[in-house]
Amino acid sequence: MLEVSKRQKGAIALSQSIHIKINGVEMETRGDRTVLDFLNESSIEVPQVCFHPSLGPIETCDTCIVSVNGELVRSCSAKLKNGDHIDTAAPEVREAQVIGMDRILVNHELYCTVCDYNNGGCQIHNTVKEMKINHQSIPFQQKPYEEDNSHPFYRYDPDQCILCGRCVEACQDVQVTETLTIDWERERPRVIWDNDVPINESSCVSCGHCSTVCPCNAMMEKGMVGEAGFLTGIAKQTLRPMIEFTKNVETGYGSILAISDMESVMRDERIKRTKTVCTYCGVGCSFDVWTKDRKILKVEPNIEAPANGISTCIKGKFGWDYVNSEERLTKPLIREGDAFREAEWEEALSLIANKFTEIKQKYGPDSLSFISSSKCTNEESYLMQKLARGVIGTNNVDNCSRYCQTPATVGLFRTVGYGGDAGSIKDIEMSDLVLIIGSNTSESHPVLSTRVKRSHKLRGQKLIVADLRKHEMADRSDVFIQPKAGTDFVWLSAVTKYIFDKGWADENFLRNHVNGRDEFAASLHMYTIEYAEQVTGIPAAELIKVAEMIYNAKTVSALWAMGVTQHSGGSDTSTAISNLLLVTGNYMKPGAGAYPLRGHNNVQGASDFGSMPDRLPGYERVADPAVRAKYEKVWGVPIPEQPGLNNHDMVEGIHAGTLKAMYVKGEEMGIVDSNINYVHEAYQKLDFFVVQDIFFSRTAQFADVVLPACPSLEKDGTFTNTERRIQRLYKALEPLGDSKPDWQIIMEIANRLGAGWNYSHPAEIMDEAAMLSPIYAGVSYERLEGYKSLQWPVAEDGTDQPLLYTKGFPFPDGKANLVPVAWTPPLVFSKEYDIHVNNGRLLEHFHEGNMTYKSKGITEKVPKVFLEVSPELADERGLQDGTLVRLSSPYGNVKVQCLVTDRVKGKEVYLPMNDSGDAAINLLTSSYADKDTDTPAYKEVSAKLEILSAEGLNPLPRVNSRYGNPQPQIGVQVQKKWARKDYVFPGDMVKRSEKQHG
Amino acid sequence: MAKAINTIHRIQINEEDQRKKDLLEVENALVENKAAILESLKVMQNMHERGILSLLNGLFGQGDKVMHVLVKAADKPEAANTIKNLLLMMGTLGTLNVQQLEPLLLKVNSGIARVAEQKDKEKEMGYLDIVRSLKDPEINRSVTLLLDFLKGMGEDTEQLERTTQLPEYQQHQKDGSARE
Repeated sequence: MLEVSKRQKGAIALSQSIHIKINGVEMETRGDRTVLDFLNESSIEVPQVCFHPSLGPIETCDTCIVSVNGELVRSCSAKLKNGDHIDTAAPEVREAQVIGMDRILVNHELYCTVCDYNNGGCQIHNTVKEMKINHQSIPFQQKPYEEDNSHPFYRYDPDQCILCGRCVEACQDVQVTETLTIDWERERPRVIWDNDVPINESSCVSCGHCSTVCPCNAMMEKGMVGEAGFLTGIAKQTLRPMIEFTKNVETGYGSILAISDMESVMRDERIKRTKTVCTYCGVGCSFDVWTKDRKILKVEPNIEAPANGISTCIKGKFGWDYVNSEERLTKPLIREGDAFREAEWEEALSLIANKFTEIKQKYGPDSLSFISSSKCTNEESYLMQKLARGVIGTNNVDNCSRYCQTPATVGLFRTVGYGGDAGSIKDIEMSDLVLIIGSNTSESHPVLSTRVKRSHKLRGQKLIVADLRKHEMADRSDVFIQPKAGTDFVWLSAVTKYIFDKGWADENFLRNHVNGRDEFAASLHMYTIEYAEQVTGIPAAELIKVAEMIYNAKTVSALWAMGVTQHSGGSDTSTAISNLLLVTGNYMKPGAGAYPLRGHNNVQGASDFGSMPDRLPGYERVADPAVRAKYEKVWGVPIPEQPGLNNHDMVEGIHAGTLKAMYVKGEEMGIVDSNINYVHEAYQKLDFFVVQDIFFSRTAQFADVVLPACPSLEKDGTFTNTERRIQRLYKALEPLGDSKPDWQIIMEIANRLGAGWNYSHPAEIMDEAAMLSPIYAGVSYERLEGYKSLQWPVAEDGTDQPLLYTKGFPFPDGKANLVPVAWTPPLVFSKEYDIHVNNGRLLEHFHEGNMTYKSKGITEKVPKVFLEVSPELADERGLQDGTLVRLSSPYGNVKVQCLVTDRVKGKEVYLPMNDSGDAAINLLTSSYADKDTDTPAYKEVSAKLEILSAEGLNPLPRVNSRYGNPQPQIGVQVQKKWARKDYVFPGDMVKRSEKQHG
Repeated sequence: MAKAINTIHRIQINEEDQRKKDLLEVENALVENKAAILESLKVMQNMHERGILSLLNGLFGQGDKVMHVLVKAADKPEAANTIKNLLLMMGTLGTLNVQQLEPLLLKVNSGIARVAEQKDKEKEMGYLDIVRSLKDPEINRSVTLLLDFLKGMGEDTEQLERTTQLPEYQQHQKDGSARE
């Protein structure tokens, strides 16, 4: 009882300040934390090996023991309480800590100077040094296991593993793939994968968390092995005697640590660590990339990274081979007859300038068009639209968000005013209920999904998933609904109506912050639960359950992606999601709101910075004379008044003969646009076509001039992630060959057309954008230095808005709008096209794969695309793993091998978009598009299926994570370690020996 | 009408042009680092004269093998022990306080001088002689000094030890009850 009341008292004191005595000194401090947290903020040093701020107390290493009220406890897990007497200096404290450290050194050989992990960050090295340990009482003992080198990207050396469990904690509870465990039952415990299989045959998704958090060299990125140290590249047969030798001559750890410290500092001379931002999806992971000359040794995220912390996925952590690919373009190419020839910049730029001028004079500025890339930086998007508007004089500029997320942006513009996520990833993490609609989050936005998986696993966050396909998030959800394709709008409206009917709407919120309540409520009259059940195929009871869960949740975050937007009614369904959130009061508070998940690293920024036909940077309308006047004044040229053509219109314009020239930057439009046969025909009709890319893409094959650009690692700039977060990337490598950063190329073209720009660094471009666009008023490179970031809108004083709506909505009266919209049924195909072809991403590859297929390791895991077919369909048509089939839609056909899986059901198949050859999904898609934004209706495809060859090799090799057997558990299960017969808590050992001697 | 094509003719730099380009690059580097290069040449001349260059040539030419032999040789117990003792001695020397040691050394010196003087005398000492000699202030000071020294020697200095345990000792530990 006493124990309980004591604890309650502690709980009461949580947020108040408390009085404690530390090493005899009284002080007042905050209470809501652990003793170790408190000590780490003070000047007192306490050893700690397993503790990691992003993982919390793991309690395996027993080195952080201190005395609290006379009791020896692990400071990482001991809560700081009022009246505590803490002693960190007593001899028995030191003695217990040393026992802890000794046990670690039994498991780890200190050969620091010849260790690839000797880079200043080794937790063991540093702790040994800090504790001034000179020798250990129990010598190192090898474990009876071999090094596991099976995985392409990292290796595990059991002999160096100290069993701290950080990797397990990260795998189980941060990444939540649940592959790693420590088998505490064995005589010599070790980390195991799944049910003890080689790493490469496990459910490991290669996210890299384990190697990132490993405190030593046990779990290490293969890029580092033999590369990082001056002496570590030595042949293995020599290395072993060398380790023995180093150990034999060591006169205590002090001297060996001194030598290895010196060697570690020497490494700084040749290993460069550069902060960058990931160039794949829209989550916006930032990390340090370690390079040695052009070699990429590893990617190291850290706790300062605002969006991802220590997290990465396979692509961000390991998918960088493309940067050094031999297929990179290194010289401009000029079409000559039926071949391209390499040329110098001078010639290529002159040709472009001449042709652009000629076409502009002959057909007018609107006969030219410009497409920006969501792979490129904000500054490059800004310059591209400045080139179009300010130099050529046309608003024909767009970017690839037209292919994915523009409908979401429109849905948000209509209802809540800003086209961006309502909050941060942290809000999604802390939300009571997460509603995922049409998003394969764990494969498309892997790191963001880990936050949901973690909260769901550890915090009881509720998860509703609406999707055609039973992907990982669906597997983990509390409620999984599978609406018929293209019917999300209907069930969303029915749930919203049900909530109104039940009187569950947040009327207070609606009264104070929202316009159009009554009109909107009335517009829902036809969307009854019965109607929804009939149209969507979701049982009424399920729909009611969804409504109840939304009503009962304090905060709801809605996440959606291409499953919603890439439909004929994509903007309307996005509107319906936002409407539902407004009706239930799920805006203007932490943990709630709308989160359209942006697909590329800079989809958000490409639009934010004005590469849109109707909007200038910061979404100011080009049709607004005041806005134009502002730009005209600074740029010194007139801005065309009429909104220009979007991507879709451009293709139409070429076919119609009104558009003559096109400049495409960093966009594989010839693969990713829908109905690509039609797009390719258009390219052939262009008078002049410039493509700027890092590779000789499919699109480039149609070009007249191809310009070699630089990937993110070779330039400075900023990206804006899905949270509206602007982050800096720094140049890690010099441009390869004669390639150049896109901003320089655009500037050179502009200057040849007489623009007279003289930006010497992207920072100057950002300054100009910040000066012109109110939502970036306070953005500057100084404020974005290192891992600092800003979430727009940013006030002039630098205040940003992690939570987008706090006081109201950006409309004249500060109120949001409920917007009545109607359902647009999906395209109907004639009967013979009986297979619905769902499509989207895979974890391992990115889009058409021109970057990720350059990675040998990724290609080993997923060598080629495959078609997921259901067991039912397989039975009906006689399909099996490896069967080669042809899918034919009215627009084209693809050839691809089958993989039978219950992730899909019935006559729905799933074709990942990772192919640029015969299986490219857009050979099947149509030119139908969202009626409001022209975003292609990629998800509305039906086809017929024929077998070309009944038998073939399984397209998905056995080394793919999808075959694995995850072993879910909470953390590393340290209790099992403590329960071992040979385990005694060092605190107890110290006490016992005191008694014996006393 | 621009059909898709994927033939690329690379710029062929003929050997002569490439050579010219490379030479120019080298020439520039030479001029930029004139002083350093001239000095290095002198160093190299000296090294050449003393045969060091050809020695290094052999060493690097067979880099991996030489390294292996070297490490193998060094990893013999005697060699390792030599280096270990050296490192130990150096470490221990560093801990000596020579200021304190100086008077002691002077005293030892004078003691040795006295012994050298008396080495031929073969006078036997009885117990009483010893006790009596304590009255001699010189002997008395020496004995006090020695007693103090013994006291210091008995103090626990384990934490200050730089050495790892000897292999025999480690073996002993392994046989006994390990702590984990």
